[in-house]
Amino acid sequence: MSNVVKLPGEPLDATAAERAAETSLLEQVRDSGDRAAFEKLFAIFTPRLLAWMRAQGTDVAAAESVVQEVMITAWTRAALFDAGKASARTWMYTLARNRLIDHHRGGARRARAHDDFTTLAPGPEDTGEAPEREWNSSRMADLLGELPVEQREILLLVYVEGHSHRAIAERLGLPIGTVKSRTRLAFNRLRKRLEEIE
Amino acid sequence: MTPTHHPGEAWLLDYALGHLSELHEAVLRAHVSVCSACRERIAFAERLGGEFLRALPAEPMHFTAADVCDHHEQAIGGNAILSRAHTPASGDIEEVVATWLDSSLEALPWRRLGRGLALCRLGETDDARMWLLRGAPGTVLPTHTHAGSELTLVLKGAYFCGNTIYGAGDLEDADESTEHQPVITRDGECICLAVTEGRLRFRDWAPRLLQPFVGI
Repeated sequence: MSNVVKLPGEPLDATAAERAAETSLLEQVRDSGDRAAFEKLFAIFTPRLLAWMRAQGTDVAAAESVVQEVMITAWTRAALFDAGKASARTWMYTLARNRLIDHHRGGARRARAHDDFTTLAPGPEDTGEAPEREWNSSRMADLLGELPVEQREILLLVYVEGHSHRAIAERLGLPIGTVKSRTRLAFNRLRKRLEEIE
Repeated sequence: MTPTHHPGEAWLLDYALGHLSELHEAVLRAHVSVCSACRERIAFAERLGGEFLRALPAEPMHFTAADVCDHHEQAIGGNAILSRAHTPASGDIEEVVATWLDSSLEALPWRRLGRGLALCRLGETDDARMWLLRGAPGTVLPTHTHAGSELTLVLKGAYFCGNTIYGAGDLEDADESTEHQPVITRDGECICLAVTEGRLRFRDWAPRLLQPFVGI
């Protein structure tokens, strides 16, 4: 498979350990209101939540406001965290996704003027220093790098930029069926790979 | 009830990530509430979201953890933490939709179309329409294609498209590339909830003539 590349990344167990460490921090916040643990979680997630909000076309002020609300929820509602149902990163993502949906439904429209995050995905054609440096601490970089570039592009547009599959078809000038089939292949392949890893 | 036909991954991702319009969201939510396979796929989509989030390059922040911890009196909505892989519905799919509509399906304002069919329009947005269709046992619907997507959720009974049978809880995921002729099974009436983008395109002239009057 010509599109498969091996990117620099952490050993498989390092990502699992990192995920478990985040979950442990959130459990400490939940069980004892541990402020030091929350500060560590804050340092991990807040800058990434902001990056995500910005990638979705949210302006800086609104993005900071939404992220602040997400972190307040994490601090005040940690009692509801159940590590048996989700890891800390999935829980944080769920909080942010819900808050962003409320934000958009509240009338804020997406500017979509932000940088194109698809260029951050490492791949056969992306050998620039900066993207590699930015993603290489993540196992996701490796997994995304294993996908054919056209499948990876769809997932980034969906997850990072927040486009619907209909909007992606229009943006890329592709038939909707092509976007759907690429989504199906990418989703199922990532699922299989993550199951293999764990 | 264990559905055997499901929305494609693209629809589920759009649902999981909150990218859908109100009408599409409603029909997917109804299916997901009775479909453990789709709830599990949505939970995975959310998990993937967490991995994407964690992998993003950091952007500098202009507030601190102390700002959050010391000013947390802000009220946060009760649904702030909910997964979109919702808990299962307590009833069957007909009850789920009836509860959501706050009406039994029988009590809705059905409009008879003849040939054993009746229609009830539920809502419309700029790009999609939601409607209920009910058909008597054995009814053959006109062959048609679509100008956009069509999600059809079976609430009661069953219908065939070719060799495929769609029963209660199943969701048929059709689009521009789909030409189909649903045929309702002979063992009972069938009621479906559909969300359609664009006009249906009928192969035969008779339904085309009627189309402006029935609004499908």
